[in-house]
Amino acid sequence: MLGKLSWDAIPWDQPIPLIAGAVVLAIVLAVLAWVVIKGHVPYLWHEWITSVDHKRIGVMYMLLGLVMLVRGFIDALMMRSQQAVAFHAAGYLPPEHFDQVFSAHGTIMIFFAAMPLVIGLMNFVVPLQLGVRDVAFPTLNSTSFWLTATGALLVNISLVIGEFARTGWLAYPPLSETTYLPGVGVDYYLWSLLISGVGTLMTGINFVTTILKIRAPGMSYLRMPVFCWTALASNLLIVAAFPILTATLVMLTLDRYLGFHFFTNEAGGNIMMFINLIWAWGHPEVYILVLPAFGVFSEVISTFSGKPLFGYRSMVAATLFICIVSYMVWLHHFFTMGAGGSVNAVFGISTSIIAVGTGVKIYNWMFTMYGGQIRYTTPMIWSVGFIFTFIIGGMTGVMLAVPPADFQLHNSLFLVAHFHNVIIGGVVFAVMAGLTYWFPKAFGFRLHEGWGQATFWLNFVGFYVTFMPLYIVGLLGMTRRLQHYDVAIWRPWVLAAGVGVVILCFGAVAQVAQLVVSIRRRHELRDETGDPWNGRSLEWSTASPPPAFNFAVLPNVSGEEPYWQIKRRAIQTQQLAAEPDYRPIEMPRNSPTGFISAFFATITGFALIWHIWWMVGVGIAAAYAVFVWFAWRDVEEYVIPAEEVARADRERRRARDAWLEANVRTSAPA
Amino acid sequence: MSDENVERDDIAPGFLDSPDLRDAVQSYVIGFVLASLLTAASFYVLYTHLIWGPGIPVALAVLAVAQIGVHLVFFMHITTAPDNTNNILALAFGVLIVVLIIGGSLWIMHHLNDRLMPMQEMMQMQR
Amino acid sequence: MSTSETLHERDIVDPYRLGRAHAALHGGREYATGHGEGGPASKYVIVGYGFWIFLLSDIVMFSAFFAAHAVLQTATAGGPSGRDLFDPSSIALETACLLVSSFTCGLSAVATGARSQLWVQVFLLITGLLGLAFLALEARDFAGMVMQGAGPQRSAFLSSLFAVVGCHGLHVSAGLLWLGTMMAQIFVKGFRPNILRRMLCFNLFWHVLDVIWVALFTIVYLIGEGR
Repeated sequence: MLGKLSWDAIPWDQPIPLIAGAVVLAIVLAVLAWVVIKGHVPYLWHEWITSVDHKRIGVMYMLLGLVMLVRGFIDALMMRSQQAVAFHAAGYLPPEHFDQVFSAHGTIMIFFAAMPLVIGLMNFVVPLQLGVRDVAFPTLNSTSFWLTATGALLVNISLVIGEFARTGWLAYPPLSETTYLPGVGVDYYLWSLLISGVGTLMTGINFVTTILKIRAPGMSYLRMPVFCWTALASNLLIVAAFPILTATLVMLTLDRYLGFHFFTNEAGGNIMMFINLIWAWGHPEVYILVLPAFGVFSEVISTFSGKPLFGYRSMVAATLFICIVSYMVWLHHFFTMGAGGSVNAVFGISTSIIAVGTGVKIYNWMFTMYGGQIRYTTPMIWSVGFIFTFIIGGMTGVMLAVPPADFQLHNSLFLVAHFHNVIIGGVVFAVMAGLTYWFPKAFGFRLHEGWGQATFWLNFVGFYVTFMPLYIVGLLGMTRRLQHYDVAIWRPWVLAAGVGVVILCFGAVAQVAQLVVSIRRRHELRDETGDPWNGRSLEWSTASPPPAFNFAVLPNVSGEEPYWQIKRRAIQTQQLAAEPDYRPIEMPRNSPTGFISAFFATITGFALIWHIWWMVGVGIAAAYAVFVWFAWRDVEEYVIPAEEVARADRERRRARDAWLEANVRTSAPA
Repeated sequence: MSDENVERDDIAPGFLDSPDLRDAVQSYVIGFVLASLLTAASFYVLYTHLIWGPGIPVALAVLAVAQIGVHLVFFMHITTAPDNTNNILALAFGVLIVVLIIGGSLWIMHHLNDRLMPMQEMMQMQR
Repeated sequence: MSTSETLHERDIVDPYRLGRAHAALHGGREYATGHGEGGPASKYVIVGYGFWIFLLSDIVMFSAFFAAHAVLQTATAGGPSGRDLFDPSSIALETACLLVSSFTCGLSAVATGARSQLWVQVFLLITGLLGLAFLALEARDFAGMVMQGAGPQRSAFLSSLFAVVGCHGLHVSAGLLWLGTMMAQIFVKGFRPNILRRMLCFNLFWHVLDVIWVALFTIVYLIGEGR
C-alpha cells in the first residue's frame, strides 16, 4: 500500500538528524501557525504564491536560495568540525552519515542555493533593465520557481524520512547503482534534481525568449546593459546543458528502477560514460552560475565608479566567447580517467583558453574603476573583494588545467579549495553585492551600510582563513571527503580551516543582523526617489518598489545607458520630461497553476522514491489535469485602468521632482 | 494566416508567410514527396549493393541530413531569409551543441574504451 | 545623485565608445546600435520562438541518448545485436506512418489558416490515427524483442536502444495527448489567438518528432543493422 515506506524510515537511532529534523519541523510549524492565525494566508496566496510577477518570483527565489545557503552551510560546519576533531580519532559523524552530509552539501549549494540566488537576481532585474513589463512566459516562470522549491523540499525531507545519497553531489556509478546503494538515498537525489531541472530548463527558455524578443523600443542588442548580455549567455547555457543532465539522470534512474544497464558493471554497461555525460552538463553549469555574477559586477562597478563600463563591446564578446567555449572543456573534470595524452592535451588547451575571456573582463572592470570617483559602498567592496579573490581562484584553475599537474591534484583539497574560491569569490560575492544593490529597488529601503561592511569583512576574512589552508593541505596530499585522517602534517591546516568556518558563521550572523536592523530602521533608510545609488540603467527610473506594470509607458531608448541620458537631460533642463500619455495596461493574471503542479510533482516524486506506484499514477494524472484546466481558461489578462497607471506614475514623478527641487534647481522651475 | 504575424522583419518559426492556399499546400506536397524519396533511398542503400559497403553509413548520414533539411524548409518553413535570422541562429546553436555532445562523447569514449584494461587481465589481477 | 561631475558630451551620446563606424551601415544614424530595435515582438512571434527554443533543448536531450547509444552500440554482452533483431518492414511501415502524419499535420496547419473547422479536425484526426498506428507497431516490436529475451535488461546495447526509441515514443504519446486536447479546444473555442498560437507550437512539435525519427531510424536501425 505504501511501497517501501514504513516507520523505520525515520532515523530513530541517529540523534543528529532526528534532533535537527525535529527542530526544523518545529520552526516550520510555528511559522505556518503564525501565518494562519494572523490571517496572512489570503495575502500570501494572492500576492505571492499565485503571483506571476517577475519581481515577486525573483524575491521568492532569493528567499529560497538564502534559506538553502544556510542549510548547506550547516552541512559545511559539520564537515569542517568533523575533520578538525577526527585526527587519529573517529570524530562524531559515522561514515555513512558523513557521506550523506558532503553529498547534501554539494547538491544543496549548487542546485538549491546558488542557482535560485542567481536566477532570482535575473528574474527581478532583467525585465526592468530591458524596459519591459514582464518576462515572455509569466505563468511558466511561476511554475519554474515552484518546481525548484519542490526539489529543495524533497532533499530536505530526506533528512527525516529515509536517507540521502552517499555518493557525492554527482552520484557516480557504480556506487549509485542499486547493487551498492539499494536504499532511497540516491532516489531522493535523482527525483529532486529531475523535477527541479525541468523548472530550470523552463527558466532558460523563458529568459532567452525575453532577452531576444521583448525589449523596450529602440533597445537594440548593443544598447542592452551588460547584465542582460550575461543573463542571455547564462540562459543559453541552461537551454543547452540542462537537457543533458536530465537525460543522464534518467539513464541512471532507468538502471535503478527498471534494471537497465547503462552504467552497471555487468552486461556491457559503461561507467565512464556517466562521468563523460554528467560533466558535459557540469561544466556549463558553473558558467551558468558565474556569468550573471560577472554581469552584477559590471553593473555595480560602473555605477559606483561613476563611469560607463569600459570596453562594452569587448565585454559582450568575452561573454559570448565564454558561453561557447564553456562547452568545449568538460573533460578537464576527469583528466585522470585515462583518455590518454592526445585527448587530455586538447581539453587542457581549451581550458586554458577560456580563462582569456575572464581576463578580458577583469581588465575592463579595473579600467572602469580607473579615473572614476569611486564610492566604497557595500556592493562596491564586495566587487573589489571579488576581483582580488577570483584572480586567485582563476589562477589555480589554470594550474589544474595542466593535465600532469591535475594528476597530482585531482580530487585533493586543492581542487576543493579552487572551486570554492571561484564559486564563493565569484557567485556568492556577486549575490551579496547584487542583493545589497537591488534590495532598495525591491523593498523601498536600503540595507544598513555599517552592518553590510561588517558582513563583508567577516565573510572575506572567513573565506580566506577557511580555504587558503585547504590549498596547502591539498598540495600536501590530502584527499577530499575524508571522514578521518592520521597524517600529522595536515593537522594544523585542517584546524585553521575549522577556525575559518567559525568566522564565516559570524559573517552569516552579521548578514541576518543587517536584515533585522534594516527592517527595524526602514524609515530612516527609505529610498525616496527610486534611484538611491545614482544608477545608470533603466531599473533606476522606476519607483521603489516598482508598480506591477514596471513602466507606465515603455521608454523609448535612443542610446546606451538610457536612464543616464534621461537623468542628465532632466538635470540640465532642471525639469522632468513632459508627462506621458497614460493608457490602460494589460497584465497577465495571477495563477495557482505553478503552485498546484509543483504540489503534485512533490507527491509524485515522493511516491516514486518510496515505490508507492498508485500514488505516482494519481500524481501524474492530477498534474496533467491541472495543465488542461489552466489551458482552458478564457481570460488570461486583466486591465489596469489608465487612471490607476497615471496615479502611480504621478506619485513617482512627484518624488523625482522633489529631488530636483532640493538638489538642482537654482531658480523657479520654468 | 498573415494577420497573426504583425512585423515583417521577424517571423515566428513554423509560420508560412503566404495567404495563398495553393502555395501553402504545395509546400507540404513537395516536402512530402522529397522526404518519401529520401526515405526510400535510405532503405534501398542499406539493402542493396548500390553503395560500396564501408561507405554505407556515410551515405545514410547524408540522406538523413538531406531529409532533415527538407523537413525544415518545406514543413517548418525555416528559410535563410533575413526575417528568419533569429530562428536560424537558434538552430545553428542547437546543432553546434549536438555536434559537440555526440562528436565529443564518441571521441572521448573511444579513447577511454581503447585504454581500458581487458576484462580478462583485470580479473586475473583480482585473484 | 551628484550633480557636480564634469560631463563630457561623448559620455552621454556614446558612453560605451562604440564608435560611429556603423553610422553608414545604419542609414546614416549617428549611434552604433546592433539590431533589434523594434520594441517587444508580437505574442505570436514570442510564443513561436520560445517553443522553438524548447524544441532545440529537447533535441539536445535526445542527442545525449543518441550519444549513449552510439557508445554502447557494440556492448551486446554476448546477447543479440541489431542485425539479429531488427525487422526492416516494420521499421519502414513506422517511418511511413510518421511521415504521412507529418504531411497531414501540415495540411491541418493550412486548414487552420483557412479557418476551416471541418478540415482542421479531419486532418488532425488522421494525424492522430497515424501516430497511434506508429505507437502500436513500435509496441509490438518491443514486445517481440522482450519475448525473445532481448529486453532492455539483457545488455547495455539493448538498454540504450529501448531508451532512445522509447524516449521518442513517449514524446509521440505526449504529442497525441496534446493533439486530442487541441482538437477539443478548437471544437469548443474556435480559432482564437491563443488557440492559433498553440496550433503553431503543436505543428512544430510534430514535425520535429519526425525529424528525430529520421535521425533515429538512420542511426539506430539502418547503421545499426550494418554492424
